[in-house]
Amino acid sequence: MTAAAANTLPHQRREGESLVLGIETSCDETAASVVARGPDGVGRILSDVVLSQIAEHSAYGGVVPEIAARAHVEALDGLIKAALAEAGTRLDVVDAVAATAGPGLIGGLLVGLMTGKAIARAAGKPLYAINHLEGHALTARLTDRLAFPYLMLLVSGGHTQLVLVKGVGDYERWGTTIDDALGEAFDKTAKLLGLPYPGGPAVESAARHGDPDRFSFPRPLVGEARLDFSFSGLKTAVRQAAQAIAPVSDQDVADICASFQKAITRTLKDRIGRGLGRYRQLAADLPEAALVVAGGVAANSAIRQMLQALCAEHGVRFVAPPIKLCTDNAAMIAWAGAERLALDLAADPLSVSPRSRWPLDAQAEAVIGYGKRGAKA
Amino acid sequence: MIVLALDTAGAACRAALFDATAGRLLAVAGEEIGKGHAEHLLGFIDMALDSAGRELDAVDRIAVAVGPGSFTGIRVGVAAARGFGLALDRPVVGISTLSTLAFSARANSGSQEVLAVIDGRREDLFCQSFAADGTPSSRPELWPLPKAREHFAGYRGAIIGSGAALLAGLPDAVSGRITPDPVDIAALVQLGALADPQEAPARPLYLRGPDAKPQEGFAVARAQDSRAQGGETGDGEGQTP
Repeated sequence: MTAAAANTLPHQRREGESLVLGIETSCDETAASVVARGPDGVGRILSDVVLSQIAEHSAYGGVVPEIAARAHVEALDGLIKAALAEAGTRLDVVDAVAATAGPGLIGGLLVGLMTGKAIARAAGKPLYAINHLEGHALTARLTDRLAFPYLMLLVSGGHTQLVLVKGVGDYERWGTTIDDALGEAFDKTAKLLGLPYPGGPAVESAARHGDPDRFSFPRPLVGEARLDFSFSGLKTAVRQAAQAIAPVSDQDVADICASFQKAITRTLKDRIGRGLGRYRQLAADLPEAALVVAGGVAANSAIRQMLQALCAEHGVRFVAPPIKLCTDNAAMIAWAGAERLALDLAADPLSVSPRSRWPLDAQAEAVIGYGKRGAKA
Repeated sequence: MIVLALDTAGAACRAALFDATAGRLLAVAGEEIGKGHAEHLLGFIDMALDSAGRELDAVDRIAVAVGPGSFTGIRVGVAAARGFGLALDRPVVGISTLSTLAFSARANSGSQEVLAVIDGRREDLFCQSFAADGTPSSRPELWPLPKAREHFAGYRGAIIGSGAALLAGLPDAVSGRITPDPVDIAALVQLGALADPQEAPARPLYLRGPDAKPQEGFAVARAQDSRAQGGETGDGEGQTP
């Protein structure tokens, strides 16, 4: 320990709390965090450091895996030091190390997991190889102390899933995308229209000045009983509409964005509405039935408003963690580790592999459209 | 000073312990595994510690092979080395695979000028020259094959490494045929003991770009009145990762 670190006492730890260091490198955010969990299940975020790589990837209109992996390895150890310092703690008083092991970009996962393995080995702490999706799924227990079971909608650049969260490590996937993730649809629409990356905020902003009824875009799977999603047909329709009227003016761009967002919102409303109905049947006597939204697309206010209204309609509490905890972060990974630690779940061996694909629900069958390698999103 | 060296830059996955004070290699563990470095590295480190009869706490410094080599392999080693450095609060030094080649050549054949050449496997060569006393006399660089031949024509020292035959233009030398140079772990651990942590940071030495090109021609044409790209959009409310 350095002199400065040795003088810093773990003053922020409270009686009976366990501390977990979390590491997240699955996509384009490098992140480290220290989270505390009390014996009563109450969690506290002691530090939450995130370094976004948006600038590195913006020229490409999407995340370039090799660029992401290079950025992670340069920054990660410094971020971990910063997270420990900000939490006022040291590795020797931390109780466990939790690192994202998948799903995600393999180059980045390797960096985070190898760093986590080395730290766990050197500090003599258990390592938890965390499923990134579990991090998103359990966040609402950290922020809102939700009781199981609750429904989670994860909508990000890499994932679009409706999951019943029944317990730590106990998840039932009710629906998933059969092609593109929702955030990917936003990014591709933005790229097509020459809007900046990431596409979510750009499309939402442009949509504000647009006519949502000028274009009638498809609403895939609306009306179907199964709870899956599909966005690639919508992406094609947007491209064809834009090409048909090119060159596009600012108003055209605004109208396309508004019409695109309307199609998305209507599709989600149908899909989630059905999901809530099913959840309501199952959880008829639950005092605290809740829908949790997670992922970067949760920042979209049109989608948020629709979800809020839908939840009110079904008598279900709508829980949206702060945006910082909806997008990729390490606090959720540390928290997932803390939940596992509290249940005395087995730590992972230091030979554990990262997994680019790792469904949360091991029982879920592959959905047609996934391709040979399994679920993309 | 006890040095822990990690090599995951090529087909091999190895860990070694070196007692720099006594000048003695204490243990080497690992093998040519081809892939699976991330799964095996920690186990090999424990094997090396066990056979040397040391605890991890006894390590004073960590040395890691930083490339050129497999991008992913390099990062596995660098991430682990930096994780150990952070948790043990010990310095971490990065050693290039070109300098380990040159060090081995000097160890085998005595003081001489050396040009270390690694086949880049895309009709190109990673090259670095070293003076007779072992100090680098050029920076590590990636050369297209014809330019390398032109530049190093008439080089008077020893030329070593997987790219040597290619550089010499030997008749059966074809880029990409030869397996990458194995890192001499004994050279790595000794260079690691000598390196100045300030001057040899544990950063990957890729010597090649990430191979990504901005996608063009994807966007539809914009009308003349169009505002500048990225101008007024993006109000910072959120993002889609």
